[in-house]
Amino acid sequence: MGLEKFKASLATHDLVQDLKWSPELREEFAANEAAVLDRYPLRKDERHAIETRNFLALYDLGLHPYLGGQFARLIFGNEAGKGATVAVNKLVESLQGKGSVA
Amino acid sequence: MAEIVYAAGAPHAPGLIGLLEAAPADVKDVVINTYRSLADAMASARADVLIVFANDHLANSRVRTYPDFLIGMAAEHRGPYEWFKPWIGCEDYTVKGSPEVAAALFDGMTKRGIRMFAQTENLKFDDNISVPVLLTNVAGSGIPMVPVLQNCTVPPIPDQRRCYEVGKALGDFIRDDLPADMRVALLGSGGLSHEPGGARYYFIDEEFDRWFLELVASGDHEKLLNELTLEKMEAAGSGGTAELLAWVVVLGAIGSKPGRSFGYTVHKDFKCGVGGVLWDMSPNMPKLRAA
Repeated sequence: MGLEKFKASLATHDLVQDLKWSPELREEFAANEAAVLDRYPLRKDERHAIETRNFLALYDLGLHPYLGGQFARLIFGNEAGKGATVAVNKLVESLQGKGSVA
Repeated sequence: MAEIVYAAGAPHAPGLIGLLEAAPADVKDVVINTYRSLADAMASARADVLIVFANDHLANSRVRTYPDFLIGMAAEHRGPYEWFKPWIGCEDYTVKGSPEVAAALFDGMTKRGIRMFAQTENLKFDDNISVPVLLTNVAGSGIPMVPVLQNCTVPPIPDQRRCYEVGKALGDFIRDDLPADMRVALLGSGGLSHEPGGARYYFIDEEFDRWFLELVASGDHEKLLNELTLEKMEAAGSGGTAELLAWVVVLGAIGSKPGRSFGYTVHKDFKCGVGGVLWDMSPNMPKLRAA
């Protein structure tokens, strides 16, 4: 799975960038994810894929894989050898066919 | 005319810092030897400025407004950016910038028909700049740096031929626009094979990596431009391996010269093949460019 499904206009790209760039937004996302998602023009299936941690579905919708990897770290952990490893393994599990890894 | 006195290519995988201690001894040996050799050569080159080309990794711009090349014009470059700190596991650093060279680069590339963008505020650096800065002791050496973050992963991606053209213009800019006695170092930061965020996240294409290292060390740029296609790099690790285009920019600037590498290693936890190349910039080396 590479860049062939990439869809530049997908709203999730902005969500991931904003989470990376704002500690305050990350706090809010952790405490009240729905309120954050409400502020982005997500498609219904796109939002459902986020809520169910279905990276496979997000990639099928056009999420850039590099931002997909970062989204996994934003959700599952970002520390070298610890949370970041969990995030990689969850992501790979989803992409290799499991779909939802909530 | 200013002179390119140092040219190298090296990976920047975050694990090279955060996960190095836990790596097997033979892996550590290659990593330490590679970056120590590159650092020693950089110190010996007595460069006045270091220009680093590296994959931006979608760190600074939205997908909707994504530049192919973004020059850092700040007087000081600080990193890593806040969110990347635990992921890289490195210390904070500050590197002196060169707003004058950065501005001249921006003007010089614009004049030569190369669209670049430039930002006076501190860029957001992840492993792209942080790893080589720390492992080659740029921060400690005091050499001013001009970072240029490039698009290696957001389609449409400037391919190997375009990046080589950009490198040619960079070489012309250095030789013709910079002060006559200036000594310039160039570093291409990125690679080797890896697939960050992909279904093959742990995949490392050892055969590709060894082929690539041998090819760029050979100085055969016709072969490089014919065979180092985006398709080939994507097959060797989608969304990651193509950051070797940063090396191609450097090669376009220096023309065909032999290089030497300091070994190659793979380590699953790095999720990236590791090997660097230092090109021979001694003044008596002939400079040949691919057409």
